[in-house]
Amino acid sequence: MAEVQGRIAQILGNVVDVEFPGGELPDIFDALRVPRAGEEELILEVQLHMGDNIVRTVAMDTTDGLQRGVPAFATGQPITVPVGEVSLGRVFNVLGRPVDNKPPVGADAPRRPIHADPPNFEEQSTSIEQFESGMKVIDLVAPMTRGGKTGIFGGAGVGKTVTIMELINSIATQHEGLSVFAGVGERTREGTQLYGEMEEAGVLDKLAMVFGQMNEPPGVRLRVALSGLTMAEQFRDEGRDVLMFIDNIFRYSLAGAEVSALLGRMPSAVGYQPTLAEEMGMLQERITSTKTGSITSMQAVYVPADDYSDPAPVAVFTHLDGTIALERSLAARAIFPAVDPLQSTSKILDPNIIGEEHYRTAREVQQVLQRYKDLQDIIAILGVDELSDDDKLLVGRARKIELFLTQPMMVAAQFTGREGRYVRVRDTVRGFRMLLDGEVDYIPEQMFYMAGTMDEVIERYQESQNQ
Amino acid sequence: MASAREIQKRIRSVKNIAQITRALEAVSASRVRRAQARVLASRAFAEKAWEILLNVQSAGTTGVALHPLLEERTEINNIMIVLITSDRGLKGAFNTNIIRVANRFAERMGKPVQYITIGRKGRDSLVRAGKNVVASFTDMPSDPSISDISAANRLAIDAFLSGEVDDVFIAYTDFINTLTQHPVVLGWLPLIPHTIEDQVASEFVKDVPSVTNTVAVYDYEPSPEAILQEIVPRFTELQLYQALLESQASEYSAQMVAMRNASENAGALVGDLTLEYNKARQAAITAEILDIVGGTEALQSSVEKAANAIEQAMLAR
Repeated sequence: MAEVQGRIAQILGNVVDVEFPGGELPDIFDALRVPRAGEEELILEVQLHMGDNIVRTVAMDTTDGLQRGVPAFATGQPITVPVGEVSLGRVFNVLGRPVDNKPPVGADAPRRPIHADPPNFEEQSTSIEQFESGMKVIDLVAPMTRGGKTGIFGGAGVGKTVTIMELINSIATQHEGLSVFAGVGERTREGTQLYGEMEEAGVLDKLAMVFGQMNEPPGVRLRVALSGLTMAEQFRDEGRDVLMFIDNIFRYSLAGAEVSALLGRMPSAVGYQPTLAEEMGMLQERITSTKTGSITSMQAVYVPADDYSDPAPVAVFTHLDGTIALERSLAARAIFPAVDPLQSTSKILDPNIIGEEHYRTAREVQQVLQRYKDLQDIIAILGVDELSDDDKLLVGRARKIELFLTQPMMVAAQFTGREGRYVRVRDTVRGFRMLLDGEVDYIPEQMFYMAGTMDEVIERYQESQNQ
Repeated sequence: MASAREIQKRIRSVKNIAQITRALEAVSASRVRRAQARVLASRAFAEKAWEILLNVQSAGTTGVALHPLLEERTEINNIMIVLITSDRGLKGAFNTNIIRVANRFAERMGKPVQYITIGRKGRDSLVRAGKNVVASFTDMPSDPSISDISAANRLAIDAFLSGEVDDVFIAYTDFINTLTQHPVVLGWLPLIPHTIEDQVASEFVKDVPSVTNTVAVYDYEPSPEAILQEIVPRFTELQLYQALLESQASEYSAQMVAMRNASENAGALVGDLTLEYNKARQAAITAEILDIVGGTEALQSSVEKAANAIEQAMLAR
């Protein structure tokens, strides 16, 4: 394929205008490459046709030292990343270049463009089945779907990354299939940690990782989720079940906002790009299970200033099958994982899918907690003694439920000194059923804190009685 | 963050509660003074009556009871507890405490218990727990007279005399001062000092001063028996009456303290919520200003561009 040559006409931070005098313009989303002396060539991605033979592009690396007039070559295709077996056990950047100091991927390795159409309507899978996470609170009130999408929402520092790492740990290490992790605009340190843990667990050869962390320019953060997704799509199309983890999808929106104004778009509500919902749709629509294979995805979503009505998290909400909302006030009380059982929900919380028993238990847990919340003002003003006997019992159970929703995590074992627990769904449901039915009213509430199954709580109680 | 309107709604509801608690605080403050005066006034009489009773009794032959209400049964099969509580709530831990003491006491005694309740809260709690409540009296006036408790008194005496129960206790709240009230159980019938040392539930039982009369020797006319016949029924009544007065004084004191705390808590909560409300309100304003400014800025540049284009077009022509 003959490459068309153009030259750089304007550089505005990460946005670069390239002129193609011949009038042969590259397509939107095509990659341009700019050779640089002593460095890897710079990749630009076409975003807009400006008229006058000029295309506006976003740079996939820093544009420091770039000059006007420098030649740029249209590659005639979008950015591609290596896919399939070669991607496993490796760490890539947004361009599909390995960054793990291992030998480069062979030139004959299969590659796929990072831009693609979502699977069309009739290709999409319709089967619905619960996917066990091993975390009590998630399995109970926001069960995940096999081949579905779950979002983990939370403000700064309430434990999104820890929760997603725990899910990776408990699921990916036990899961038969393959996993893809896309690190979008988060800390590099977390990526390194994950790599180490996966290596230790011996599942590195089932995991592909793509990182474009917060030190990278916005173009990278805008595309790295797509690079990761492309690898997942390849496995799916090969008929396999893939787990796709993205941390953090909000940074994708943020990167879009960063380049949006430079691309000449007028800012919209709260200063976000006017194309916020469309951009999110382009990514999310592709994270879909087909009749060939499935992608089960878990995405962390940062919620700016704990405001769930912010346009960025709102744009994500509707795409998801399940929502896990993390709550600062719970984290402040050392309730970990700080999942808010009243805000979290899932589309499969339905008696026809998860079963009558599970459904009823989950809803009753929510009712008890809601009632406790309603009573909290009264307790704050009048004291717990003014409650009726029924309400006192309910408050006692609600507090136990709150504590029993905590669980020691494997990834936090080095900080808490407690081994992580993996709890089966049926044990979770049985435990909460017992609590609701008052079978464990005699056990003091602190015994429920950071426990696995109800059997463990009872064991703890008996041990304390024996002393 | 909750919206400003939601927070405002909460502030309103907390303020409403505070209004009620403040009103109740004022009401109980005025009642507590009268109740305190009453209980202190009659306390001296009750104590003196007790002393006289013991004196008279000691004049008789030792080991033989001079009156059936003074006869200690050797074998206790059934007991009765008269539980004095308030009719209404919003008394802090007042009702909870006395009910708990009564329940623990009954549990510790380990005997079948019949209950007479004075006050709706005690009745509700016992009935809910499936206890054997034989009679319940409610709506005691805030200025009770002896006649208000005579029915309860009659019931208890009859049950004791008929042998239906062998020991009767009063569970009530002893008034110490405005800040302190002790829930206690008082050994009532038989009307003699209950030897609490060897009782299983001694920790709940009120310590009664035992009067040992060795110095003064009285002569009784016509006879100790005749006097006892007259005074014992009155004394039993007086004991119950005193317990009710103590309980009422405690109730109003407890309510006053509880309501004062509640008013303070409500005030603090309103303060916190107001701060949160102001923050939410300011955040909304700032967000709107930012949107407007951003919008005009963006429009400005495109307007300027358009103006320039028109200008150039004009110049070219």
